[in-house]
Amino acid sequence: MLSKVFATLAVVITGSILLYGVTDFPAFGDPKSPASAGVPGSESVSQYFITESYGDTKVPNLVTSVLADYRGYDTMFETVVIFAAGMAIFAILRVVGDEKDSRKKRVEENTFTNGDHSRIIVGTTCRIVVPVIQLFALYVIAHGHHSPGGGFQGGVILGASFIILALSDHLNAALRRFSEKSYTIIAVVGILIYAAFGVVAQLLGANFLDYGVLQPLLFTDGPEMARSHSMLGVEIGVAFTVTAIMFAIYANLSTRGLLRNGL
Amino acid sequence: MIITILSVLLIGAGTVFFLGAAVGLVRFPDFYTRTHAAGKGDTLSSLLVILGYCVYQLKDFESFGESWPILLVILKLLGISVFILITSPTSTHALMDAGWEDKVEPTIQEGHPNHLNDDSGKF
Repeated sequence: MLSKVFATLAVVITGSILLYGVTDFPAFGDPKSPASAGVPGSESVSQYFITESYGDTKVPNLVTSVLADYRGYDTMFETVVIFAAGMAIFAILRVVGDEKDSRKKRVEENTFTNGDHSRIIVGTTCRIVVPVIQLFALYVIAHGHHSPGGGFQGGVILGASFIILALSDHLNAALRRFSEKSYTIIAVVGILIYAAFGVVAQLLGANFLDYGVLQPLLFTDGPEMARSHSMLGVEIGVAFTVTAIMFAIYANLSTRGLLRNGL
Repeated sequence: MIITILSVLLIGAGTVFFLGAAVGLVRFPDFYTRTHAAGKGDTLSSLLVILGYCVYQLKDFESFGESWPILLVILKLLGISVFILITSPTSTHALMDAGWEDKVEPTIQEGHPNHLNDDSGKF
């Protein structure tokens, strides 16, 4: 009871401080706000992105060039946050041990679901639809710097395709294709791909995640195209982590960490 | 002109079916009939609306060499409609099946035969 009073008090106080802060904000879309016009004596950041980003990176999608290049450091640690969320779910929920018993149960379940007539319609539809979804996910990832999309969105679609597989048939059907070992490895590899781009740039004498110097390694015409290709590589790394963590969260939450029986 | 009229007719028919689905969702008596109305109406009306978009895209079509990007847009729209045609009835079926497994009682009017318990063992 007392803890609830303190919690309510804390929420009310923080909330009113935040609301008080909102009153100092510039109006929505105000052309004179510092974000749009810049502070006196220096050019505005958003103005710079709008006018110069295509020349700097040869990426037509402004959002992706800001996300994966100008603010690449931020995006890298966003990926780490997703990875940390997955690891937290793993640490809290996953139950290990009792392998003999779980193996016995798996056999029973498979014979049960195969004869279940009501799953034929859903199962067949998912068998038809899942490859299309996965192909579309790869398109969203690979085309992220030319059209809306990118590693996070494509990774979520790819992870959802595995979740659909688990929902339509059985969790083991999805785990057979994307086992616990492989999704944990892929989640780590995704972040390592991202960090590798930064470290290689450092080894070549530039700042962390300064893709321009990767030009001799990527065999491109200039540093601009090197930035464009590096953004694609970085997005692929993000997609690896997001796909693996999406599926890991579903698998652990739906089975309370047992990774068997499923829904 | 004809193309515009045709597309307006298709999209209009789609919205009529959307309205029917919405009315059915509110007015029908129980879970099964409501899901039935929403599923059927949604699928058909989405298909009609997308077909209307496809026809409307043909408005600026001049020659195959110049305006092939329009055909690309139509191909994508048709892809979406195929996706809806497959997935929407399946999700309706899954919803109904889940309701049946969860023993949601259908409404049966007085004086009508109740076949619910005839084959309850089979499900």
